[in-house]
Amino acid sequence: MTETTHETRDEERPGWAIGPGRPGMPAGRALVVMLVTLLVWTILYAPRMREAAEAHPLGARRTASLIALAPFTALSDAVRITGVTDSLERAVGLDPDAPPGGSIVLPPPDPLPPVTVSPSPAPPTDAPPVETLEPIRTPARRDKLRVVVVGDSLAAGVGYIAGRVFRPTLVDIQQHGRVSTGLARPDYFDWFAAMGQIVHGYDPDLVIVMLGENDLQSLQTPSGKLETPSGTPEWPLAYQERAEALMRIATEGGARVVWIGLPVQREPRRWNSIRRQNRLFEEASTRVGDVAYLDSWGLFDAPDGGYTAFYHDGRRVEEVRAPDGLHFTSTGYEILVREAAALATEDFGLDPIVYSK
Amino acid sequence: MLFPTVDFALFFVLVFVGHWLLNHRLPVWKWFMIGASYVFYAWWDWRFVPLLAGVSAITQLGALAVSRTPVGRARRWVLGFACATILAPLAYFKYYGFLSLTVTNSLGSLGLSSPFPLAQVLLPVGISFFTFMAISYVVDVYRGETRVSTALDVFLYLSFFPHLVAGPIVRPNELIPQLEVRRDPRHIDVAGGAWLILGGLFKKIVISSFLAAQIVDPVFGDPARHSALDTLFAIWGYAVVIYADFSGYTDIAIGVARLLGFEFPRNFDRPYSARSIQEFWRRWHMTLSRWLRDYLYIPLGGSRRGERRTYVNVMLTMVLGGLWHGAAWTFVVWGALHGGYLAAGRLVRARREAGRLPTPTETPARVWLQRSVAFHLVCLGWVFFRADSLATAGTLLGRLLNGWAEPTILVTPGVVLAIGLTLALQFAPSAPAGYLKSRLAGLRPVPMGLAFAFMLFTITAMGPRGVAPFIYFQF
Repeated sequence: MTETTHETRDEERPGWAIGPGRPGMPAGRALVVMLVTLLVWTILYAPRMREAAEAHPLGARRTASLIALAPFTALSDAVRITGVTDSLERAVGLDPDAPPGGSIVLPPPDPLPPVTVSPSPAPPTDAPPVETLEPIRTPARRDKLRVVVVGDSLAAGVGYIAGRVFRPTLVDIQQHGRVSTGLARPDYFDWFAAMGQIVHGYDPDLVIVMLGENDLQSLQTPSGKLETPSGTPEWPLAYQERAEALMRIATEGGARVVWIGLPVQREPRRWNSIRRQNRLFEEASTRVGDVAYLDSWGLFDAPDGGYTAFYHDGRRVEEVRAPDGLHFTSTGYEILVREAAALATEDFGLDPIVYSK
Repeated sequence: MLFPTVDFALFFVLVFVGHWLLNHRLPVWKWFMIGASYVFYAWWDWRFVPLLAGVSAITQLGALAVSRTPVGRARRWVLGFACATILAPLAYFKYYGFLSLTVTNSLGSLGLSSPFPLAQVLLPVGISFFTFMAISYVVDVYRGETRVSTALDVFLYLSFFPHLVAGPIVRPNELIPQLEVRRDPRHIDVAGGAWLILGGLFKKIVISSFLAAQIVDPVFGDPARHSALDTLFAIWGYAVVIYADFSGYTDIAIGVARLLGFEFPRNFDRPYSARSIQEFWRRWHMTLSRWLRDYLYIPLGGSRRGERRTYVNVMLTMVLGGLWHGAAWTFVVWGALHGGYLAAGRLVRARREAGRLPTPTETPARVWLQRSVAFHLVCLGWVFFRADSLATAGTLLGRLLNGWAEPTILVTPGVVLAIGLTLALQFAPSAPAGYLKSRLAGLRPVPMGLAFAFMLFTITAMGPRGVAPFIYFQF
């Protein structure tokens, strides 16, 4: 079609605005372009969308997504689209073999003695906890204390602020907060393997853990097999065993652990579940030596035990919760990290010189 | 509903079909498009839908009242009341939390209790943008630059989903006339619209998300632990992130509107190629710049009330522009810095025009020096804009002075490439892109769809799994 033809037709239909796209195409053809684009893209991207769908908690939405994607993934598998996607990811420096939740990257290793850790969840034992009596070592500028922060998006916030609270000259911080991770879905991100990697490769003195926000779902194995369905009587014990296993892996190399419990959220529907999770974390911490439990619910709740976005330190009121009613503001994370450090001082003899009060 | 999601893609296909089927029956089409836009808005949080409808209703009532009041003092009062009423929700949602906390602490230190109960107020997405457009409409009616439209047109003008959550801030005489005439279904600029959408997605998904995760968030989150070089690249990186994020969003918005046959004004024009801060503001968030000029700077008196008052007006406009971004000292400093830059630039120009300062010779070296100085002045502003407190900004700037002995860990080839590529594109000629676009426009529908699918696939495969919301949604 030539532009002259368009002009003639515009003159024939004076009621229509001359749009910005005079030399374009009719709406029907434009729709064909859009549908072809979306259809072909869906086939090409189906393997990645399947990964994303599989990362959702078991339930109707996940099932519906996987059913809707099934024909596309079958087609893309048949023509080996995954190979193209992987090549493209490699070309731009991404790791296509990394688990959906990403992988842990540690700094170059120091000449440290090797630490033996369990590669997978260690079975809980009934043996009484063994506490290390010696305080956490006092660091020097040439031999900094090694602190690692692990967990979900809450831990990501804790990690950034820990970098500000702990003195850079005396403490090295490794931040490993991973969004959307937890203990329930090692098929998405395997914290047990990651913690083993951290203990082996970094040999931390102190591990700060904060996770559980994404764990109100069925427990699966690293291969994605359903282990304990959500809502069953077995779930609490199985979940506690996972928390305990992670604590054992974290402390196997001699590190101390501050496990931060989940804070109260704005949404009251989840309060009972969070309280139950916190009880499980606290009980697990009493069964493993060198683990201190920090009650963040009690730290930030309102006088009636419910949610408040504000914190009164006796002198000033601060806004400590993010607008989503779940995460914290920088001030909130700072209070949390200082409390974690103070607890490490109280329970493990952490020298207060390493952090600002 | 975020633009770069499957949800939006499906939503848009349905709206596209409905739009072009109903296009020839304007009243029905308007109801359909208002409904679609409200669904789009409700996807974020349905509780704020009455707010959007309420602001739209107040805007139309205000415009009617202004138009029916005789010219004079009474008309000005009516305009003032209408603007204050339109602004009241924005003021409440944006500043009440800050105000109640400040008053509580101030009175608390004196042993008194605050009359304002503490509350964490959630900011409805897009409230600034539809409020600004509402004020444009009422003020333009007052000035006689636009006539009072029908309520249906005003509701659609304010809620039209392509611009609803983060602009561009479209003036009434740019959009309302387009709403009153049927769009031409025979000449849809698919290549142009898709090119903008894919370009915007590339900026957001690949450039912005990559740099934010790789260097900007780690350094701004914990500045004391990073070297001077990491810090410098993080600052440059943030300049690229905010540009790629925001201009990417508006590119998508303009592209989506174009597929529906509408034309929106440009919002960015290679801002980091500017040789002065004044030029930067003619190229950055252009629709906000002109809004601030037309509805704040000029009503304050502009440059009509003497030299000294002009500088005060420039400063006041920029500080208020900063405060619009949020109730925090960091935004005040950002606005004051830009106000100071603009005032200083104006002073130098005035002196040169009066012959009191020599006018230097234009050389390529001088042009690049001006560009470099302008870019780094803008970057200094971005430090305060991004930092969560003045202390963090201070630490960050301090690292530029004392962190050169420390090892650099975040400046990777990918980071250098992403920053370098984005900045280099500010100076690239537009001819190659224009040629590519024209070749795409010449394709038949199926090959064109295949080409766009491969481009979209490349963008999504290069991006992270899961994309953060656009930065300007929070404003």
